[in-house]
Amino acid sequence: MKARCCMMAALALAAPGTSVWAADHIFDTGLEERAEGPYSDAEAARFLTQATFGPTLSEIRRLRDIGYNAWLAEQLAAPSTEHLPYLQAQQAQGLEVYQNSRQEAWWDRAITADDQLRQRVAFALSEILVISDQSGAIEGQPFGMANYYDLLLNQAFGNYRTLMYEMTVSPLMGHYLSMFKNRKPDAALNIRPDENYAREIMQLFSVGLVMLNPDGTVQTSGGDPIPTYDQYTIRGLAHVFTGWNWANCPRTQGGQWWEWEFCPIGPVPYPEPGWDVGWLLPMEPWESYHAVDDSKQLLDYPGVSLPNGVLPAGGLAVDNLNAALDNVFEHPNVGPFLARRLIQRLVSSNPTPAYVGRVAAAFNNNGSGVRGDLGAVVRAILMDPEARTLAPESSDRGKVREPLLRQTHLWRAFNAYANDGRYREWNPEFNLGQAALRSPTVFNFFLPDFQPAGELTDLNLVAPEFQIATDPQVASSSNALGAIAYWSWRGNPGQQAEDVVIDLGPELPFAQNPVVLVDRYDLLLMNRTMSDAMYNLLVNYIGSIDNDGNPNNTLPDEQRRERVQDAIWLIQTSPEYVVER
Amino acid sequence: MMKRRDLLLRSLQCAAGSAAFTALSGKLQLANAATLQRPKSRMLAGGDYRALVCIYLYGGNDAFNMVVPTGSGYAQYATARADLAIPEGELLPLSPVVPPTGGGSFGTHPGMPELQSLFNSQRAAIVANTGPLLYPITKAEYTNGTVPVPAQLFSHSDQTVLWQTPQAETQNRRGWGGRLADLFYSTNVNQQLSMNISVSGENVFQSGETIVPYFVSTQGAEAIHFVEDVPWLAERRAAFLALRDGTYAHPLQREYVRRMTRAMDNQAMITSALDGAPPLATAFPDTYLGRQLRMVARLLSARSSLQMTRQIFFVAAGGYDTHDAQLGDHADHLAELSGAISAFYNATVELGLDQQVTSFTASEFGRTLSINGDGTDHGWGSHHLVVGGAVNGGRIYGTPPDLTIDGPDDAGWGQIIPTQSVDQYAATLSTWYGLSDSDRDMVFPNLSRFSSPNLGFMA
Repeated sequence: MKARCCMMAALALAAPGTSVWAADHIFDTGLEERAEGPYSDAEAARFLTQATFGPTLSEIRRLRDIGYNAWLAEQLAAPSTEHLPYLQAQQAQGLEVYQNSRQEAWWDRAITADDQLRQRVAFALSEILVISDQSGAIEGQPFGMANYYDLLLNQAFGNYRTLMYEMTVSPLMGHYLSMFKNRKPDAALNIRPDENYAREIMQLFSVGLVMLNPDGTVQTSGGDPIPTYDQYTIRGLAHVFTGWNWANCPRTQGGQWWEWEFCPIGPVPYPEPGWDVGWLLPMEPWESYHAVDDSKQLLDYPGVSLPNGVLPAGGLAVDNLNAALDNVFEHPNVGPFLARRLIQRLVSSNPTPAYVGRVAAAFNNNGSGVRGDLGAVVRAILMDPEARTLAPESSDRGKVREPLLRQTHLWRAFNAYANDGRYREWNPEFNLGQAALRSPTVFNFFLPDFQPAGELTDLNLVAPEFQIATDPQVASSSNALGAIAYWSWRGNPGQQAEDVVIDLGPELPFAQNPVVLVDRYDLLLMNRTMSDAMYNLLVNYIGSIDNDGNPNNTLPDEQRRERVQDAIWLIQTSPEYVVER
Repeated sequence: MMKRRDLLLRSLQCAAGSAAFTALSGKLQLANAATLQRPKSRMLAGGDYRALVCIYLYGGNDAFNMVVPTGSGYAQYATARADLAIPEGELLPLSPVVPPTGGGSFGTHPGMPELQSLFNSQRAAIVANTGPLLYPITKAEYTNGTVPVPAQLFSHSDQTVLWQTPQAETQNRRGWGGRLADLFYSTNVNQQLSMNISVSGENVFQSGETIVPYFVSTQGAEAIHFVEDVPWLAERRAAFLALRDGTYAHPLQREYVRRMTRAMDNQAMITSALDGAPPLATAFPDTYLGRQLRMVARLLSARSSLQMTRQIFFVAAGGYDTHDAQLGDHADHLAELSGAISAFYNATVELGLDQQVTSFTASEFGRTLSINGDGTDHGWGSHHLVVGGAVNGGRIYGTPPDLTIDGPDDAGWGQIIPTQSVDQYAATLSTWYGLSDSDRDMVFPNLSRFSSPNLGFMA
């Protein structure tokens, strides 16, 4: 029998003589626990903070009911709730579809979809394998970008090698990092292959700039980091990534240059709809534009399959592409490189090397001899002792919550929806500093190694999310959350059908007793990590709101709502909430 | 007990029917109506004031299409750039007061008439072929590897750090603007507001050992409306501040507290100073860079009430990574740059600060001379612009490179080897700013490796 730690903790926090429990929202009693846990509501909530877009009381209960293993098995097997169909449905209704619709789809899935783990991991991948509608090359392509996001969703638990291939031949990535229509050298025209994708697939999507140990620490020589590759590797890989154009290009005239140059995006004559179907299909190779004259220097590393990492001259574009992707995928850096980035998105900014090493080992071998199994990686990340054990307040574990995730958390916890069913949250970047697939550059909204000057640099800690936590953003994100808590609630007299509003009605019964209310949100919003000091401060403050001095008098709903709103917003802007442990 | 309901009642009823309602940012404007009356402040004379304004061009500006040889030098350029060459007839002629080293004539990109005018009126200088170096280096030394070069050349993130520190051999991420601020901040009466202000977010350039940048948006500073310092929010504000000002054992929580505290402390000061400053007459282009530089000009205008005498600003534009569709995209970017930098100069004239404020460009690298079809790739050396009344303008500093592919300045595939280091460029600006010779080696430890510590483009 496991100790019911959190029940005791909550009792200890409560003021003497107050009734702590409201039986209908506390699940610590009456549950059969699973051997692997979670052993408490707090543990369940904390897991869901890492694995979903935010815990809800019902999901906390369900996770406690079925346990981590069954929950993970269910989530790893759950089919994708794709984003493209949302856009296509809008188009079928005759609506104009822009990037707004893609953002709507993202919010809809984040808030309501059942495949929460898949959605959350895809979002993490979207901040690593970046494309962005801030690029003029793809800003006009909401369908294509939603399709790219679906690629991330569908491969979130697939194999990274497969994901690498699909990402590479995606016309969205092709346009974003200019591999689309990249062509073989032409000395007469002084043209040589575009290096953009070659450089970034290595620097940002797979191996990184410097050689890593299996635990993600940097290999050095004479005190200097050892580079993973040089300009010759970039050029070699750039030659591999030549000869790719829209799918289904007509080559009826023998693949003449004008057929390559003016290849249509879809069937000719253009059908409506569907004239731009090429944006939804993988690019296809043209041998006549693929560089085959010379051998190509690829990555060279211990155990590399190609001799000295050199791909021989000749070959077909698709075969050379696969050989090169194998060469990158098999590099020993990929496991620790990806492990650290995914851990940072889901669990902690500063994982120990041992934790990175365990997750990298799962990447290298899923237990059945398969390399690159992302499902195994996700499981390893979430079930690692370092993820599952709540570190003390004085530790450096955990991370700053991404602003977008603070809002999804709020909306999920309090069941936000609009009466017309849409989430018209089109420009979260204005206040929150980020939005799905909308970062300024391929380097995402923040760098994995971002280190604020001052104490965190002195402690050698990174905190990527602080890179966007500028003075205006600290204020505007607090305001955005306040605008929801204070203004956008169901039943507000001015509510319109398109307003996304949280439901505070179910909260009002708990607002009579400040201890009950704060305890409820300590679980729902903070995984019961609230310090005694914060807990007591909130209980006292909430109790003071419109208190006529007689706690036995029933508060009117309006005053209960104020208590609820203040409790939610003060928690969501507090240091203890913003930094999740 | 005081009702705190004003804000709550300015809620959906007020906003109902507004098209902007679903955008939460729109609703916040309701709360803006509650802001306090702002005191008017007086302008003080310019006096002892100096500011540097870094205009960072993210992605790597193709300056070889920004400043182009004309006349006898054009053919070499046109051969190298092939389909991406700007037609000679479209280039805007530059009239240097002193012929550039090696002679020749030059023009600017046709989208930059304002730059042409600034240069020809000697308000702007061009600093040729500058980039990150450890030591002066020739092509042979580069090819043979006999002289070291900075690690991770040609990577966006790494060369950005190289440009902004420049301390190529260390892991030090303190920028030279930050290190200048470490030395100068104590001269400002106002010790609460950072000497370094960024209108474009985080950057290495402005972070020193002591001084870190303060961030504003193109709108200035934003209050946290739900805890503004007004009577009807007093209780909630007290609770919020008690949580903010608690004791936290977790270092990331302490960092959040610092950020929240600074944002709140500075917001009222900045907003009050901006509102109290006289309106700018100078018109700025309504572009991202134009809006940022307009905010810098407004802050300059408010310098007296802010009690600042030394400041360093950072603005930035993106999209310079022109691997693709370069001719069209780059033309748009250069037009934005030219219009904004010129409007900003005009604003400093309006404020009587044209001798005291210098703006300059920085960008991680130039681009390859060779092309990839419709774009260019990551290069190394590049030309840069310095604008202001204190600039020895109308001149091209340094030697314009040989633009022959595989020529004497080509490290390979059109990556041009810099002939002037970022250290020299930054040190020249810093010396004008007031950096003493004795402090110079501390801020720029590699400077003595190069022939001249001062490139001479500042008065």
